Amino acid sequence: MTAVLAFVSVSDLVIGLSLGSRLFLIAVGLSLIFGVLGVLNFAHGAFYMIGAYVALVVTNQVVDNFWLAVIVGGLAVGVIGVLIEVGTIRPLYERLDGELDQLIVTFGFVLVIHEAVRFIWGSQPYSMDAPASLAFSVGIAGSTFSAYRLFVIVAAFVVMISLWIFITRTYFGSLVRGTSSDREMASMLGVDVPRLYTAVFFLGSFLTGLGGALAAPLQSVSPALGDQVIIDAFIIVVIGGLGSLSGAFVGAMFVGILQSIGPQFIAAGHIAIPFLAMVLVLLFRPEGLFGGIGE
Amino acid sequence: MTTVLKTEELRKQFGDLVAVDDVSLEIGGEEITSIIGPNGAGKTTFYNLLTGVLEPSSGSIWLGKEGDLREITDDPPHEVARNGLSRSYQITNIFEGLTVRENVQVARITHEGRTFDFRSRAAKDEELNEDVDELLALTNLTELAETPCETLSHGEKRNVEIALALAIEPTVFLLDEPTAGMNPTETREIVSLIRELDEDIDATFVVTEHNMDVVTDISDRIVVLAEGAVLADGEPREVLSDERVTEAYLGSEA
Amino acid sequence: MSIRDESIGDRIGTFGREAIRNGWTRERFVLLGLLGLVLVSLGPPFQVYLFTEFLIIALFALAFNLLYGYTGLLSFGHAMFYAGGSYGLAIVLRDLQPHIADTIGSGIAPLVTFVIGGLIAVVGVLLLAIPIGWLSVRLEEIYFALITLAFGMLVYSFIIQNPQGLTNGTDGIIVTLGITEIGGTELRLGDRQTYYFLTLAVVLPSIYAIWRIVHSPFGTICKSIRESPDRAAALGVNVTHHRWMTFIVSAVFVAISGVLIAGLANVASPYHSHWTTSAIPVIATVIGGATYFSGPIVGAFVYLYVRWGISRYPVLEAYWEFFFGVMLIVVVLYFKGGAAGGLVLLQAWLLDVRTAYERGGTSEAWAFVRESAAEKQRNLSARLSNLGRSEPSEGAER
Repeated sequence: MTAVLAFVSVSDLVIGLSLGSRLFLIAVGLSLIFGVLGVLNFAHGAFYMIGAYVALVVTNQVVDNFWLAVIVGGLAVGVIGVLIEVGTIRPLYERLDGELDQLIVTFGFVLVIHEAVRFIWGSQPYSMDAPASLAFSVGIAGSTFSAYRLFVIVAAFVVMISLWIFITRTYFGSLVRGTSSDREMASMLGVDVPRLYTAVFFLGSFLTGLGGALAAPLQSVSPALGDQVIIDAFIIVVIGGLGSLSGAFVGAMFVGILQSIGPQFIAAGHIAIPFLAMVLVLLFRPEGLFGGIGE
Repeated sequence: MTTVLKTEELRKQFGDLVAVDDVSLEIGGEEITSIIGPNGAGKTTFYNLLTGVLEPSSGSIWLGKEGDLREITDDPPHEVARNGLSRSYQITNIFEGLTVRENVQVARITHEGRTFDFRSRAAKDEELNEDVDELLALTNLTELAETPCETLSHGEKRNVEIALALAIEPTVFLLDEPTAGMNPTETREIVSLIRELDEDIDATFVVTEHNMDVVTDISDRIVVLAEGAVLADGEPREVLSDERVTEAYLGSEA
Repeated sequence: MSIRDESIGDRIGTFGREAIRNGWTRERFVLLGLLGLVLVSLGPPFQVYLFTEFLIIALFALAFNLLYGYTGLLSFGHAMFYAGGSYGLAIVLRDLQPHIADTIGSGIAPLVTFVIGGLIAVVGVLLLAIPIGWLSVRLEEIYFALITLAFGMLVYSFIIQNPQGLTNGTDGIIVTLGITEIGGTELRLGDRQTYYFLTLAVVLPSIYAIWRIVHSPFGTICKSIRESPDRAAALGVNVTHHRWMTFIVSAVFVAISGVLIAGLANVASPYHSHWTTSAIPVIATVIGGATYFSGPIVGAFVYLYVRWGISRYPVLEAYWEFFFGVMLIVVVLYFKGGAAGGLVLLQAWLLDVRTAYERGGTSEAWAFVRESAAEKQRNLSARLSNLGRSEPSEGAER
């Protein structure tokens, strides 16, 4: 183990963590929505992409304020999420094969959003500048990193911790946990389940929109972004456990680091390993390596 | 009485909750046995243990004809069914998207071990449909044969449910709340159907039922479950006049 | 070829008159269909190509639907078997063609190699589907969709990785079908028309085989599992085992379509194994109507021809996926019967119109048309005003 670690440079590790942080911001909303609503949102990667584009539009065309752009990106995606949930997912909860129908409907939105983005912004990749306040470099163990890259890692930790507090310590959080473990019971106890579902869908969409906006300076923003990240997000939530927040965190870091250091050790195998892990977890621990909501 | 179904100290625990508490029963012969008990007495869990849906925590289950009992304790549901235990469900569970005929075909195909038959065409298979027609006649469904089940009334669906269960020629037929959700007319019809079938068919009937009129009407023997254990067991008159039984019921309903 | 004869027009005329006089027997329908299929081959090369592709995608979707519409399992990884068929053929053509030519003479070798390559590809996919199916059917619903997606992408990573030069990495393998000589006549397999007939000769019997499977006792059990797995088990059906068998049968027919697409596209491409290719039969089947046997065929037709139709309008061309996204959403939400279901309803409606016409002539028929249109409108507005309101749950009614 130490022999292996010796080959891992700090630089790879930091890049892996920053990749993992971006992936976490997508996966956590996906996992939250599945854990509470039982809906696997195929369009979640597309939502992430919208967040990035909205942030771009705000900084380029409205006001040059990065932080405002990030918030607007998250809110815009949250609102789109609510519209989609209320209009097209809600009617399917009571169907016998509703889960599969929801997967197919959200896949329909993958196609719709992908083409709409291409129509509005074209196929060319965009890049976004990091905020001026973080446009400097930091040296760690002989390597230099942009401060913004480190900031995104911190942001992922902050989101993780605040979400955890929100779910475990607040009244709304207790409703979420209760509804995710027993929907009918929650309904009988007077929880307005449809409204709660919409709220959770908003939260999950908001988080991925926020993630997309935050990650925009670190990656090229193009219509292919959604398709790229959704499969990674699926891998992460399966490995961590569909519905588990801490699982999403650990899964995201695992996939992120694997993507950054993998190529040096296992050549092309690093593409296969996440899928292999996904298969193994589904077969032997379908509830994921970590527990449920709030754990 | 020849025993066809036997449980020995059958037990199921969910954590600290004992849902079925060392139940030992022998059921058999010509009689119709009713299993009754207040809500939460463990009837559903007991049925799920018998049919292999749940694994017992301890104890054993035996099934067979003419005293030739085999252990089925660890068999999965489909093996239990093949060994001769058939059931109907409290909440009607039939193949809603298929026609009545197709529903019964499923059971016959399985029973005849033809699930991997690719050559014949189910709709035109005479051998298969002869048996199906017979069963449809027996359960008053002949005229509805080509109707999709989702368009049937609640009572008619119940008949399909019974036709399905009988189609695999069971040794023991478990009916789970056969009159649940039925109006008085439908209830009378289903009771007389059960009676007729008991006469015509060589299977032992076990019924859970909460309608006490129905219970006293059809049962030759009543087993009362309370808190997962057998509280009383015997002829209807005897059991229903038992004070402990009254207490168990009234106690739970008060 | 006598088909190009002048008399063809007369023959069709005679056929039509006889049909009208004697009624439409099934044999006549089949004959007319076959005639139509032959006529397609006379069209411009691009149309022949498009129709060939339609046949292949139709088989792909039909095979997929054995598992989805008939057994209730949604696979998001069937591209692995599609690519398996493609690569099986491509590898045999690349590595074994010279040996086969040496053994049996170069004249007939290309055709023989194609057949052998196809068979090896299908057997290869069979061997792949047996373990993958066995593992996958242990899961249900969303989890089944996810594990098939993962297996599919594992196969994709394997192909990209190019183990020992077997799959040629991201470039894929070029497929050359060559020229066959039989008794002095040259037959170019890669020729659009020839390949179209070859595809027909494989796809039509395959469709018939799937039709027989669906209507066999085996297929009846599949449908029962779709409707209620626990009920089927309580009647003695080994649900897991039956799903596994259906998975394998489905994979085998997908492999056949994969072999055919490699010959048509002249390449076995890693793209054939990517999850976005797995989405093609999903889109075609859902839009066509998963609950109808013909649904995937109609869906494949819509998929390819709507796309072709859109491509005629350059402004829309680039965005054709948008329309399929919208169609998916609309069909799942409002019309599970899909396009095939729509055709069935349309036929019933036209029969009603005819009845009205026979009852009271044109005015009666027109009145019926207006009446039913008004009813549709009422239903639609009622539905729109209900939109967003949650429907009462079944559990609550109990």
